[in-house]
Amino acid sequence: MIYNAISFQAAPFSYTLEFFDRITLVRGDSASGKTYLYQLLEDLRLTEKYSAIKLYNYKTEDFHENLKKCREKFIVIDNGDLLLDDEDRRFINFEFSNQYMLFLRNCDGLNLSADSFMLLNEDNYTISLKKELVIPLKKQSVM
Amino acid sequence: MFIQKNQTMKNDWYFNLYTSNESISETEKKIIEIIDHAKVTPEKRIETKYGLGTLRNLSSGCKTLLNVMKNPDKIVNIEECGKNVLDLLFSLNNIHVYLSRPERIHIDENAKICFNNTDIVTGRQGFEQWWTDEYSRRNSNDI
Repeated sequence: MIYNAISFQAAPFSYTLEFFDRITLVRGDSASGKTYLYQLLEDLRLTEKYSAIKLYNYKTEDFHENLKKCREKFIVIDNGDLLLDDEDRRFINFEFSNQYMLFLRNCDGLNLSADSFMLLNEDNYTISLKKELVIPLKKQSVM
Repeated sequence: MFIQKNQTMKNDWYFNLYTSNESISETEKKIIEIIDHAKVTPEKRIETKYGLGTLRNLSSGCKTLLNVMKNPDKIVNIEECGKNVLDLLFSLNNIHVYLSRPERIHIDENAKICFNNTDIVTGRQGFEQWWTDEYSRRNSNDI
């Protein structure tokens, strides 16, 4: 993982984003703050600590070519449903040196786990990622 | 007639350049309030929990919904919309949208939906059955 967590202040909000899989999909309702977060990351990536962040959205030129050049980056893609084609999805699956946070609803063709699916959650001006899929724990068998 | 994703509009781009310059009705202001929890001022600024902004700062989902309402003759890509927007979209009459996969959407049991200008189904049940048949077709054609 490039980052296990990304934390920063953006008054009046405080962000603590924890990642549990190399690929994180952020979904949920419209207007939950995904693009606002993307805009905050545009500034954050200029700091030394978060310089591994690479950002792509619908305004990015030569998106497909630029994505394939990335190694050891934390890649954030907004408008993923518009941008990602099958080849991009294969690259994401098999270029293991990168980590991804994708603002994307259609997960076809991606190798994901239950930990990949996240929602942006706000609680008293604190923003975090909350697991979208909650898998019930199996009952412990008694030997 | 089958529509490809690249034949549909880029919603943020189209909204920022065109739709946002049109007048906003009271109904559209209400929709902006429901989806983005934003109040529109007489000068077409918006007030949200993130601060003051312009219509360009609306969520992609909200922009998409307004693109659909203001361009009934155009096919609008709704793949980026969350459930909150999709539920509203499917309550509208005479709209043309692009969606490449089924979504959990509230659909009135009497609503008529036409797929690919050929197949007309009724209500949520018809919507689900059409997608079941579509996935069978895709499987048999190795798509």
